[in-house]
Amino acid sequence: MRKVNSWKMLFFALVCSILLVGCSDEKSANSEKGQTGKEKEIVIAVNENFISMDPHNTGDTNSNSVQSAMLEGLLGFDKDGKIIPVLAEEYSVSEDALEFTFKLNQGIKFHDGEDFNAEAVKTNVERIMNDESLRLNSRGFNLITSIDILGDYEIKITIEKPYGAMLTRFGSAKMISPKLIKENSSDIPKSPVGTGPFKFVEWVQGDHLTIERFDDYWKKGERVKKITYKPVPENGSRVAMLKTGEASVIYPLPAQNLEELEANKDVVVSKIPSTIARYVSINTMKEPFNDVRVRQAFNYAVDKDAFINVVNSGFGLPLDSIIPSKTIYYAKQDVYEQNIEKAKELLKEAGFENGFTAEIWGNTNSDTMKGMQFIQQQLKEIGVTVEIKSMEEGTLSDEIYGAQTPEDSKLQMWYVSWSAYASDITNATKPLFHSESFPPNGSNTAYYNNAEVDEWMDAANSTGDTSKQAELYEKIQSAVYKDSPWIFLGVDELLYGSRSDIEGIYVETGGGINVNDANFK
Amino acid sequence: MFQYILKRIIEMIPLLLVISILSFLFIHMIPGDPARLVAGKDATLEDVNRVSIELGLDQPIWKQYISFMGNLFQGDLGTSLKTGLPVSTMFADRFMPSVYLTLLSMGWAVVIGLIIGTLSAVFKNKWPDHLGMVTAVSGISLPGFWLGLILIQIFSVQLGWFPTGGSEGWKSYVLPSITLGAGIMSMLARFTRSSLLETLKADFIRTGRAKGLKESSVLTKHALRNSLIPVVTIAGLQFGFLLGGSVVVETVFSFPGMGRLLIDSIAFRDYPVIQSALLLFSVEFILVNLIVDILYSTLNPKIQYES
Amino acid sequence: MEFTSTVREKKHVVPKKKYSPVREFWVNFRRQKTAFFASMFILLLIIIAFVGPSIAPYDPYQPDYDATLQGPSSEHVLGTDEYGRDIFSRILVGTRITLSVSMSSVLIGAVVGTVLGIMSGYFGGWLDRIIMRSSDVMFAFPDLLLAIAIVAILGPGLNNVIIAVSVFSVPSFARLVRSSTLEAKENTFVEAAKSMGAPHKRIMFKHIFPETVSGLIVFVTMRIGGAIIAASSLSFLGLGASPETPDWGAMLSMGRDYLGTASHVVMMPGIAIFLTVLAFNLIGDGLRDVLDPKTKNE
Repeated sequence: MRKVNSWKMLFFALVCSILLVGCSDEKSANSEKGQTGKEKEIVIAVNENFISMDPHNTGDTNSNSVQSAMLEGLLGFDKDGKIIPVLAEEYSVSEDALEFTFKLNQGIKFHDGEDFNAEAVKTNVERIMNDESLRLNSRGFNLITSIDILGDYEIKITIEKPYGAMLTRFGSAKMISPKLIKENSSDIPKSPVGTGPFKFVEWVQGDHLTIERFDDYWKKGERVKKITYKPVPENGSRVAMLKTGEASVIYPLPAQNLEELEANKDVVVSKIPSTIARYVSINTMKEPFNDVRVRQAFNYAVDKDAFINVVNSGFGLPLDSIIPSKTIYYAKQDVYEQNIEKAKELLKEAGFENGFTAEIWGNTNSDTMKGMQFIQQQLKEIGVTVEIKSMEEGTLSDEIYGAQTPEDSKLQMWYVSWSAYASDITNATKPLFHSESFPPNGSNTAYYNNAEVDEWMDAANSTGDTSKQAELYEKIQSAVYKDSPWIFLGVDELLYGSRSDIEGIYVETGGGINVNDANFK
Repeated sequence: MFQYILKRIIEMIPLLLVISILSFLFIHMIPGDPARLVAGKDATLEDVNRVSIELGLDQPIWKQYISFMGNLFQGDLGTSLKTGLPVSTMFADRFMPSVYLTLLSMGWAVVIGLIIGTLSAVFKNKWPDHLGMVTAVSGISLPGFWLGLILIQIFSVQLGWFPTGGSEGWKSYVLPSITLGAGIMSMLARFTRSSLLETLKADFIRTGRAKGLKESSVLTKHALRNSLIPVVTIAGLQFGFLLGGSVVVETVFSFPGMGRLLIDSIAFRDYPVIQSALLLFSVEFILVNLIVDILYSTLNPKIQYES
Repeated sequence: MEFTSTVREKKHVVPKKKYSPVREFWVNFRRQKTAFFASMFILLLIIIAFVGPSIAPYDPYQPDYDATLQGPSSEHVLGTDEYGRDIFSRILVGTRITLSVSMSSVLIGAVVGTVLGIMSGYFGGWLDRIIMRSSDVMFAFPDLLLAIAIVAILGPGLNNVIIAVSVFSVPSFARLVRSSTLEAKENTFVEAAKSMGAPHKRIMFKHIFPETVSGLIVFVTMRIGGAIIAASSLSFLGLGASPETPDWGAMLSMGRDYLGTASHVVMMPGIAIFLTVLAFNLIGDGLRDVLDPKTKNE
């Protein structure tokens, strides 16, 4: 009797599990029915989960990418990352860089039917300024002193002191329906309402996020009915999805698979230069790295082309300044070409003829571990023994930012990358090279301290005069590059793949996926 | 029996309290500051401190614990530091897929594992034994991500039978459950075999045979049942593990399960999510163990539980 | 692969001289052809673990950027990896790391787990409850979280990988041994020993422990394989040896991006792991048949 029971139980459990799965199947089968009609669906596979749909509280590229299909800002960015007006018809900045005036486009509606006007802009700006729970995007907006509505479709915003990145901030601060903000603000991170070409449908955590064409979008155009984004972290799986057609677009496309995919007729592979700089920051306050000759020797020891070939599978450009070439005011510098003899000589002059032992830190991503091994191999050539210490991201950040003063810091070298909006040179320089930005107050992990450079950065930041800014940033780039607070490695190239029957989807230089004109051919 | 179950369930409460305190201390002991991770690399100290206050991380740890538990008793798991979404929302979409996947993987692994194990024991040192054991041994010698990627290459890319991932429809459960179940099936097959071989030599089996019982009835009525005890132990353990999600399989098949959520949350030091997930896993585990213990006494009446 | 443990032609080897349990074991074990072959393989690996670095044809750390990701050739028997390092040399040198990490972590876990399991099953009551409930707690803590915590507290390095992996195995061993103990406790000879007033320690280790051995051996051999794989995922998480170390698991995980394009990079360490785990498992099967008095061939 008992034995029968246990078998029955087992059988019952099995049947239950099959039934449960069967039920869940039916549900999704229904929702899939739309796929077969004329109104098809495009699937985009990305490498990470989305974090939040609150545009005023987003730091990651993937969430931003999805939001930009649904939401628009006063300003925006073109393919190369230059600032362009979007919801604003035109904008102007006062000479002292304190007043920003926007003339708005008319006749724009939010997905919930609300009008887009100066009042809506004010509601949004005030939310960013005042809501304490918005941890990320208040920077810049906390400088705002007044918001003046000049007319139904004109608004002026004044800040207390000049802030070089303010226009970029207006570009990234996307507008949400004022009704949502006032009545249901806790829904914003889950289901935002904006003015964009697509509106939110559903977000199943960890599985997919779906958006649908907004038929009353203010810019006319042919667009696909539905887009579904799926996080697919494993490189091999993403490639497989593109091959089988389960995904129409994958980003990023792993460089190792490029050749294989280029041979595939159903797939188009594209690459664009990014604003991601890869480098090793060297603690310029620690011996022996406080000697500029040692740091230059490191730069001469590294073969940049080999770096790109070995670590990035051949994709990337040498980092020939302190910022990537797509960043505004970029000025090319003379690259430290690999020269082992010169490197050894410099070390000898600095008194390290027999080399020394150093430590490099990095996170546990396989790319980082690859890169650190490469640095280890290259520096071995000039007699420097490098010990690799890879740490899990949270631990690493504690080790780096836990140091309250430069003397506390145990950091010697850090293999890392930095990316900023192409239009935002402030963020591409100040947190990295200004003496105010030593950890924990910023990411100047080289502890680079150059009074002149500080002064130039401050001056560039407090003027609205672009030619003066260009001049100052040229000086900054040249001075810092010579001082070698980093081992300058490379600038990533972004690779993405799409099925050949897709058009109107491209990846922007900042890594966002633009789907504004997404359609089947 | 009923009293025993009731007692075990009542025992759960202090245990869960202890677990909650331990895990709370434990996850706060791991170095890493979520405020810094939330604020981002380009944050100034001022930004980080503001975030810290906003997230309540500036409070002493016992206050944080009390407020977590207070919310928990009101059915609120808290809000994720990373996403700003309620933890319950983040769990809701992932919990059931994890359960289905676990049931399916365990289901086929138990059935096939028992069959292979029994056949191998009955035909000891004959070809079914050898074939079965080669299958079983190979199953545990393959790393999961390797098997998963190969299955995708064959069944999704080449043959196009199953999708490469996701959780839509039964088809997307097939490859992940094969990958997840393979190791368990092998373990169960081996345990069934060795345990059955042992029982077949036992006195009561000999007696049964001597009494002239049919071999098939000796096998099913007596031997198999007695040899199931270690098998049930292993199956229960694995079941508990699987409910916690499998990072490897979820990653390879982009499956929305609990494992990847936990890993992401650990990387981000997302305390409320980690804490809630640990409590959830503990409850699941204790329940599974309880079921295993009950099965013991069902399988072998010799094992008694004080009631 | 042949499974010919029934082959009898070597029966005459059985010496009639003097009875010795070691010799008896040896004779029986040699009859288990597969297991015997597998143990020869492991023996070979152990030898390689010692001499590997001196017989490796290339420096396992030396990159050659002009020869990256090359398939097997006469120059590089197993090809080269993404830095142009010789994979064969790396596998030879990595044998020691892989074997020592997996074997020592499982042994530590087994010893601790067995002691706890026997005590728990034998004494029952509150001790049982404490041990079993704490093992529940341990189970409820996902492995990775434990690993991160252990490494964060102790610092990175191979020794701490061993500790982390052995910590994972303790509760499984404890539960397994406990359940066999529960059964063995009911046996008449245990009852007899008890009634004769034998001390607990003696009953536990003399009478009950042997009853748990067969399950234990199977599990140890399984765990060694599992430990190789677990250590490899730790390496991949950056919590193991530093990434240039030719640990097989690390080679396997680091190479998986090349599966579609230069599959030998991940094949070779994968095969090495597969064969090793396979061998351990086959030995386990063989040992069980030999050691366990109940399943031994008469």
